[in-house]
Amino acid sequence: MNLYFDKTLNAFTRRALLATFAGGLALLSYAANESASKVPLAPTSHAQAATNPVAISGELMAHSCAACHGTLGRLGDESFMPLAGMPLRQFTTTMLDFREGKRPATLMGHVAQGFSDAEIRAMGEFFAAVNPIGSQP
Amino acid sequence: MNTAPLTSRLAALAAASLLAVWAPGASAAQPAPAAPQPASALHADHTPPADAKAWTPSTLRQTLASLPKGNATQGQKVHEQLFCVSCHGAKGVAPTQNWPHLAGQRAAYTAKMLLDYQSGLRAEGQRAALMHDIAVMMTPQQIADVSAFYALQAAPRDDGTPRPNPQKAPKDFDAAQLIRKGDPARLLTPCASCHGVAGQGGNREASALAGQNPLYFVRTLLDYQTGVRANDSAKGMSTFAKKLTRTEIEALATHYADLPMGKTSSAR
Amino acid sequence: MMTSNLSRRQWLASSAALVSVAALPVWAQARAKTGPAHIVIVGGGVGGATAAKYLKLFDPSVKVTVIEKNRTYIKPYGSSEVLNQHASMDDLNVSYDTLRTQYGVNFVFDTVIGFDPQARTISTAGRQKITYDRLIVSPGIQLLYGAYEGYSEQVANTAVPSGWIPGAQTALLAKQLQGMRQGGTFVIAAPPNPYRCPPGPYERPALMAEWFGKHNPSAKIIIVDPKDSFVTDETMMLGWNRLYKFNLPDDYVKKMQDKVEIKQHAAAGMLSWVRGKDGGRTLKIDAKKMTIETEAETIKADVINVIPPMKAGQIAMTLGLTDASGWCPVNRRNFASTLQPHVHVIGDASMADAMPKSGFSANNQAKVVARAILEELAGRAAPEPLWENTCYALAGKDYGLFVADVFKIVDGKIARINTKARYLPLDASPAQIKLGARYQQAWLRTFTQDCFA
Repeated sequence: MNLYFDKTLNAFTRRALLATFAGGLALLSYAANESASKVPLAPTSHAQAATNPVAISGELMAHSCAACHGTLGRLGDESFMPLAGMPLRQFTTTMLDFREGKRPATLMGHVAQGFSDAEIRAMGEFFAAVNPIGSQP
Repeated sequence: MNTAPLTSRLAALAAASLLAVWAPGASAAQPAPAAPQPASALHADHTPPADAKAWTPSTLRQTLASLPKGNATQGQKVHEQLFCVSCHGAKGVAPTQNWPHLAGQRAAYTAKMLLDYQSGLRAEGQRAALMHDIAVMMTPQQIADVSAFYALQAAPRDDGTPRPNPQKAPKDFDAAQLIRKGDPARLLTPCASCHGVAGQGGNREASALAGQNPLYFVRTLLDYQTGVRANDSAKGMSTFAKKLTRTEIEALATHYADLPMGKTSSAR
Repeated sequence: MMTSNLSRRQWLASSAALVSVAALPVWAQARAKTGPAHIVIVGGGVGGATAAKYLKLFDPSVKVTVIEKNRTYIKPYGSSEVLNQHASMDDLNVSYDTLRTQYGVNFVFDTVIGFDPQARTISTAGRQKITYDRLIVSPGIQLLYGAYEGYSEQVANTAVPSGWIPGAQTALLAKQLQGMRQGGTFVIAAPPNPYRCPPGPYERPALMAEWFGKHNPSAKIIIVDPKDSFVTDETMMLGWNRLYKFNLPDDYVKKMQDKVEIKQHAAAGMLSWVRGKDGGRTLKIDAKKMTIETEAETIKADVINVIPPMKAGQIAMTLGLTDASGWCPVNRRNFASTLQPHVHVIGDASMADAMPKSGFSANNQAKVVARAILEELAGRAAPEPLWENTCYALAGKDYGLFVADVFKIVDGKIARINTKARYLPLDASPAQIKLGARYQQAWLRTFTQDCFA
């Protein structure tokens, strides 16, 4: 368990740093928006920074997958794909194939459609670093 | 003899699959099929349903002989339409360690697995239950076709799955030894005598093992040991597995995972 | 392909344009006292349990306490499957043991009676006063039984169950439905928006239609609805058309028939849907006469299931977290209450714009909030959030459908960003549909694992 945290914190610290830049600006701009009158803010560099995909944390996004794919992508005797330890290229290729409709799916096509290339890569990096040994044979 | 129920069951399943999916208990014109067990019967425990008869070598041979000739091109369509791709990969190489590779597998073995899932003879857990639910949608032709398709796919050489790398216990035999020589003391014939020297499969519809996902290999032998999996002909594999140690199983898994396989994997 | 566009160097280089770290508002950094942070969670349902687990997953050193009144959790999701005998009441039970023993979450089995938001203490009926650094409130819903004349919690518990919060009412409804006389009438009153579990009031009668088909083939099912549409309506009703000889309303046929064959059944099956525009809105329940009066008519029924309007769970009101709508307004980034400091509200009770009120949403919101709280306590800004909601629903045991959405903050509100499609395609193959049903069952298991284990 400790090993997992060390690994992901390295990956995460990087993104947290980036997130701090963008997130802090976003937080300020949002807080300002909330307390101001109903007139919407004119687009500024602050608002643009908030939607910059660089600011998005791969780990946090990856956790949105857990309800089907298991906490940390670890899954045993189940119908869904375990993601823990999946090689990065496999993850990104699969998600892109889902997104482009090249791969038949029930709902993964729809889900993949909500992610950009950068986000797919960020999630893939997270899962690639997770030790899958939590899954039972 | 056991052949009659098996072939009539095949025919019944063919009829059942032609019924409209949207009309459970539909038209009176069709003969009432021998319905496969509902999924819940498989979830309850690991014992197969009462009417799923265990194979004998002769019943197995006859059933496989009665399957239609498989067409790999049609088989690729089956592989896509029934979402085999989702778990077993676009080319039959599973993208995760959760499921076996099917690429390069002997057609007879693949077909047998699908029949075993259909009947519930193979019912280890949730994954097997999902296979059952898919297999019962398949006609004998589709089974033959998809098996032919996988047989032609290039077997995996490095699937990326971590190898177990066990610590060899003092009494353990090496994997290479077990494969080529077996162990007379334990009445273990060499694995190669059925699975081939290069793990390419062969005798008595034994599966190809070369390049197989090592986690799946370990799980399979453990399931044979405990009886959770019991679809082997004449209890051959169960008897074998019970005599192996856990570390020997893991060593075999690693050995087979690393084994390259020639492109000339035979059709059945 | 994508690798050439996404080299890490380029990625990082583009972010160097971001100039300075903004100073965080003071409230985001304050701590109640020194030592490991203590986060208290009110409500041990999907939202609360997920928040507890993920807080500990992200930072095992943090102290997490869940205050929950029931010692065992009863799952609302999948609870309709008790009605058609596909599951038992026991199957709905979930233990908190794994959260306690494996994740070290403290549980206080008690009810909250009030709090002091400035002092950051929360008080329970059992006279405990617990200090926290941050509070997460995930209280779920309360049902407004009184919205309909003649309806009340007492009536729901004894004669006309709701079963939208699972428990004894679910068991009662199952007994009534399974024991209904041959040829009897089952009326289900769907709720107005917003409500928990959008496809749920339509999945329930579908499962009963399947069950009645085998056990009570002359039964009738009437869905009375204040609404004219619902999430997953096209795919759900296509399932009804194929399985239960349901004829779709004309406006649906018009918009769907170019994409998929819709049968016109000469003799319609047992299921009917009375929409708001056709007078489907419920006005009055008479439990003694077993009638339900809608705008259009009064229906005499053998079993009546009412899903009344709902609002945030009572505790949210007690703690001053709700506004006039009866739901809790929150900051979209971290679901911090806009009405009380140091409190985050997640799950059904929160006002989350485009996100539906569902277990999946609560689970996702919990993770975003867990991360946001830990980052704020460490003096850093929370990462840009993203949420999903992928809900499978059944039109029959082998007929699965779904809605699948991804959400981000767009122009200050939570919006869907998967613009192309969200539902099972109308031309889905039989294999896709059956697989969807199997995935629904698998999801019930994996989802429970992710929240509670």
